[in-house]
Amino acid sequence: MSEGICRQAENNENACEPAILRRLRQDQTGDFSYMTSKAPSFRVAADVGGTFTDVVTFDEASGKTFYGKTLTTPHKLVDGIVTGVLKADTVIRDTRLFLHGTTIAINTILERSGARTALLTTEGFRDIYEIGRVNRPQAYNLFFKKHQPLIRRSLRFEVNERINARGEVIKALDEAQLIALAAQLRELKIEAVAILFFHSYMNPDHELRAKQLIEQHCPDMFVSASHELSKEYREFERTSTVAANAYIGPRIKTYLGEIQDRFVAEKFNGSFFVVQSNGGLFDVARAQRECIRMLESGPAAGVIGAKALCDRLGLRNAIAFDMGGTTAKAGVVLDGEVMMAGNIMVGGYDEGLPIQIPLIDTQEVGTGGGSIARIEEGGGLRVGPQSAGAAPGPVCYDLGGEQPTVTDANLILGRLSADNFLGGEMKLNVDKATRALRDNIAKPMGISLTEAADGIIRIAATTMSHVVTRVTTERGLDAGDFAMVAYGGAGPLHACIVARELRIPKVIIPPSPGHFSAFGMLMADLRWDLVRTWFKHVDQIEFGEIDRIYSDMEVEGTRLLKRDVRDRKRIVCTRAADMRYVGQEHPVTVELPVALFKKKDRAGLKKHFDDVHMLRYGFNAPKEPAEIVSLHSSVVGTLDKPAARPMSKAIKPARPAMKRKVFFGEPAGYVITPVYARTELAPGQKIRGPALVEEYASTTVVFPKDVLEVSRFGDLVITIARS
Amino acid sequence: MAIAKKPAKKAKPANKRTIARRSIPKPASSRSPRRADPVVTEIVRNSVVAIAEEMKTNLLRTAYSMVIYEAQDFTVGLFGANGDIISIGIGLPNFIRGISDTIKAMLVHYGPDAERGGTNIGMRPGDVLITNDAYLTGSHLNHITLVVPIFDGKRLIAFSACMAHWADIGGALNIVTRDIYSEGLQVPILKIYDAGKLNVDLLSIIKMNVRIPDRAIGDLHAQMAAVRTGAKRFSELAGRYGTQAVLNGIAAIMDHSEALARKQVRSIPDGIYEAESFMDDDGVDSGKRIRIRVKITVKGDGMTIDLSDVDAQVKGFFNSGEAAGRGCCQVAFKCLTSALEKPVNEGSFRPLKIILPLGKVVSAVKPAAMRRWMTYPMTVVDTIFKALAPAIPQRVIAGHHADLMSALINGNHPEDGKLYILYGGLIGGGWGARYGMDGSSATICINDGDTHNSPLEQVEAKYPVVVDRYGLREDSPGAGKWQGGLGTEKVVRATHEFMFNAQVERVYCRPWGLFGGHPGAGNQVGVQIKAEPEIKFPSGKVLGRLLKPGEAYILRSGGGGGYGIPLERPIDKIEDDLREGYITRQRAEGCYGVIFDAKTGAIDRAATEARRAKLLASGMPMQRNDIEDAADVKNTEDATEAEGRFLTRGQLFPMRCC
Repeated sequence: MSEGICRQAENNENACEPAILRRLRQDQTGDFSYMTSKAPSFRVAADVGGTFTDVVTFDEASGKTFYGKTLTTPHKLVDGIVTGVLKADTVIRDTRLFLHGTTIAINTILERSGARTALLTTEGFRDIYEIGRVNRPQAYNLFFKKHQPLIRRSLRFEVNERINARGEVIKALDEAQLIALAAQLRELKIEAVAILFFHSYMNPDHELRAKQLIEQHCPDMFVSASHELSKEYREFERTSTVAANAYIGPRIKTYLGEIQDRFVAEKFNGSFFVVQSNGGLFDVARAQRECIRMLESGPAAGVIGAKALCDRLGLRNAIAFDMGGTTAKAGVVLDGEVMMAGNIMVGGYDEGLPIQIPLIDTQEVGTGGGSIARIEEGGGLRVGPQSAGAAPGPVCYDLGGEQPTVTDANLILGRLSADNFLGGEMKLNVDKATRALRDNIAKPMGISLTEAADGIIRIAATTMSHVVTRVTTERGLDAGDFAMVAYGGAGPLHACIVARELRIPKVIIPPSPGHFSAFGMLMADLRWDLVRTWFKHVDQIEFGEIDRIYSDMEVEGTRLLKRDVRDRKRIVCTRAADMRYVGQEHPVTVELPVALFKKKDRAGLKKHFDDVHMLRYGFNAPKEPAEIVSLHSSVVGTLDKPAARPMSKAIKPARPAMKRKVFFGEPAGYVITPVYARTELAPGQKIRGPALVEEYASTTVVFPKDVLEVSRFGDLVITIARS
Repeated sequence: MAIAKKPAKKAKPANKRTIARRSIPKPASSRSPRRADPVVTEIVRNSVVAIAEEMKTNLLRTAYSMVIYEAQDFTVGLFGANGDIISIGIGLPNFIRGISDTIKAMLVHYGPDAERGGTNIGMRPGDVLITNDAYLTGSHLNHITLVVPIFDGKRLIAFSACMAHWADIGGALNIVTRDIYSEGLQVPILKIYDAGKLNVDLLSIIKMNVRIPDRAIGDLHAQMAAVRTGAKRFSELAGRYGTQAVLNGIAAIMDHSEALARKQVRSIPDGIYEAESFMDDDGVDSGKRIRIRVKITVKGDGMTIDLSDVDAQVKGFFNSGEAAGRGCCQVAFKCLTSALEKPVNEGSFRPLKIILPLGKVVSAVKPAAMRRWMTYPMTVVDTIFKALAPAIPQRVIAGHHADLMSALINGNHPEDGKLYILYGGLIGGGWGARYGMDGSSATICINDGDTHNSPLEQVEAKYPVVVDRYGLREDSPGAGKWQGGLGTEKVVRATHEFMFNAQVERVYCRPWGLFGGHPGAGNQVGVQIKAEPEIKFPSGKVLGRLLKPGEAYILRSGGGGGYGIPLERPIDKIEDDLREGYITRQRAEGCYGVIFDAKTGAIDRAATEARRAKLLASGMPMQRNDIEDAADVKNTEDATEAEGRFLTRGQLFPMRCC
């Protein structure tokens, strides 16, 4: 997903297309004619980003992995996928399992390029979507802007109906009015309809009936009801979620259909799954209805990849650190499980639209390789959040960029090679980068070029360390107890600095870090996360009732998986609950062992919660009553994974391909540093820093005294020296 | 290595340090002459912002009071060894001074040494200090402030602090309080932890004096965790980069913020700028307007805000303390000079001098009643913008609804018979229009920042109410070339009896427009008893009104003032507003001079343009009578009659806007 260059949305036209992109595009005139005739044995993962389409394929027959990277084709995304598969030396007909992640969902929202959508909502509340939560995060900015709804007021309609907080109907659904509304929607040429009725999480009957009626009377419209996506309270967040789903629905439905058609034409006869934001897969038919679930598929797949990596290396706790051209992201694997969240703001906290679905908890900061360094009025040195993106890109790309970036600073310090960038496909312009940094930063501040470059990277690294603390220390976890799995084009360049900042002892760079999200897709399972709002004091819990609700969710989840996972033993259900002390608002999610329910152990339930509260917030109140807010059920259908095969051990010590001067901070200054080609490294080899390891789309920087060791699977495992 | 540039010499040295009234000598560290490393400075900047954010997250995730976790009525931050602000998390803008001034008072309280600039000041590692002294924090007794001194060895290097609003602090409910003693428990400056040891006596006193002790103690725990987190992180930062380097970085950040602010002030033409506005009344002396008059002097890179002519403290509970009065000047100043600068720090305020004699309604002294402290300062902020409008027309904003719009509900819960307290409002309202931008609709007032309304589904699940409507108030925005934002309306029906209180201001004195923009609708409070007509409360104050099942209360927030002459608003925008239902046809005709085609009902552009040109050329009559709001407009039968009333140029729109 995240590339050294960028994952931002590309413009549609390529009028001023950078040279590197043009070169990559030429590769797309692939030869589609040759075909093989083996039994399908390939698993193909395609991660379509704004700029690049990454493909990783795995041949179950041979155990080999193949990589393909190609330019995303905005007009017809499927073309890029097909080319990417070819570049990975794989034939679509040989594919047994096609796994897909895409930024199309989030981009459709950010670019406002979705369908003409209407909202049907409970009488009295058509403005809920526009009012939002009335907060003003930019507290001193008189020119602040609120979130902009995806559906304007004149297309938000109120329906006579009402259900109360207990799920009781207090005003029946006015079906005659709905039928009249349906006619109006047709007249208005509405393409998609979102339905939100109050308390549908307690009783979805009205939403279900309304959906049925609209579908009946407007057969061509994409219709989505809020309870299908979220069974939690919070009317604004649920409105925003269902509105977004309807808004992106028609486009995504078409898009996935196009892929299907194209694949079928290429004689594909396997299963087609899409990655959800919770890191699990769902089948394409469902993905065409509940599109919003694929919102964060790329970042989620990266964290799943990190978890898979942990599993094979026997690690229980890790931070997934993904740094690309414009952003850095962090997620957490805690005790072997990925940490989850319940909502996300699309477009940022200040003006964004909330989406309330289960997703992998990732935090993001606007720091990446393309982040621009500048001197603030008054003399402060700032890095980002402005980014040079893919176009014009950093100064050294020589594509018109004039402001020095993090990538330029890395080049000046010798950490990036001018000749080996993207496998040598792109030459970097050191002179231009030097001039830009000297004129814009070093000279005005009265510091040396090296000090300026080093300062930029240190500032970027602390900013990125804060994104890691947001998923660790803010959740009561100590980053020092975790290993860091670093990927994305720029991740391996900065991982050791960020790790040192946080006293993280170990950094792991997987093979092909630039393809890691696509790799993660190969490692994903089918998964459904179901949530039900259910308010109950712990001491009033009826275990029969709670068990029935969980069972219902498990039955539902299992039903959703059954088509693709026939072996019942492969379906694993886990239970958790959102709990809080009576009086608190924000709950914490507590995993609940099934044994608790068997033993009907109220005290055990409470103690679980007390412990988690202590861990997360540093205090608890064992004597105070607690309550459950909602019940979570995860139903996972485990798929066979590509088995990681150990590589053969090295016979000789690693030998550098070359040496060059690299700056590692004072007092060492510039040090003659060995540069290794990653393709030449083999398990068991040990390299003492300082060192660089170069590969196609990224460079790993090993600092003096840090020690790199190649794992059995080819991962670079770096032990950070204690400072 | 370079340092943030020192500001140019100022005209008057008197402008230099103006803020700390209580004179605490600065420890040598806070304004070190040593040069700060620019990279470390930037790292410190990002870190102190992140620390305040973490404290905030920590508190709101664990708090028990809805006022804290939803309304986010709290402020967290880091402060220097002398009490100066290092970094405040986004919380209550109007509480910007409250903690800092309280820490300064704590330094005086605990330190015979403090006067001599010493660091051994009777505070020890492991201490957690507490107070809710309303005249120190400038606010009400519900605001409990906790402060942790941070030490490097024996040296006091900073403070981590947190103020949060407890849902109840005792005192009388359902009345207009008239002195501080009726408002609840007062906790003077004390240590809740003394060198790590809990003060159990104090805890017992608190438990005995509040109505819902579990909540109070829960909130206290949450606050404690937050301040300790802040202290821990700051110590880690100092450990990582060295205490002196971090303090140097902080000093450089403040100098930098000061330089930025001075540069902005220099861009304001020198001069004396004045404005006044009025509050409706204090809830005791009905109908007696309270004058808010500000005088601003801009000279070079310094600004003085003089609040000497603000009316004296009042009998009812709308007083606030000096920290709030000074705080609102600083809020206005920050909005105009460094709105997005982070962290919020003391340096930004150095160019500002505030003149505020004690005993005013925003610098009240004991025993003034303070429970609704937050209301008047908001109008002070808006009045400062109004005063500066002629000087910097493109940087100010027209008047906003300027009230929290809260309803205080209490009753016994039908499920367990226990007392509950619900803050049933925070509905957001209209904000004033700006140069080039319409006002924001349904947005929380300036006193509060990241304050959220409560999800209605949650409120209905927890309390015996059903919400009938929560929507935008059509025709509430003030007309203008740029239109004000829309207010909101919320109708809440009781399913079980409860006591209803509302203390809404600016019902009569409406949000004003600028440069010919019209005022927005005023705030409103009403009660609906069965099928009878709604009972409206002209003063906006309703205390202890019993609502029975089926009866409802109604809150309506005002619209924002308009900016610029309404006749200059593009017809396309008016057409959009009509289509989306933000304004009615009457409004389009009456305020914007629009003529509709009788047959199609669409805007007749040619006729409209001709009429607008004619009206603009005529200079437009001044309105004689105020028309309350949309409801009255609709009663106006023909548009030509409305014409004379609404088509005015007037900044002096002669009615009950101020």
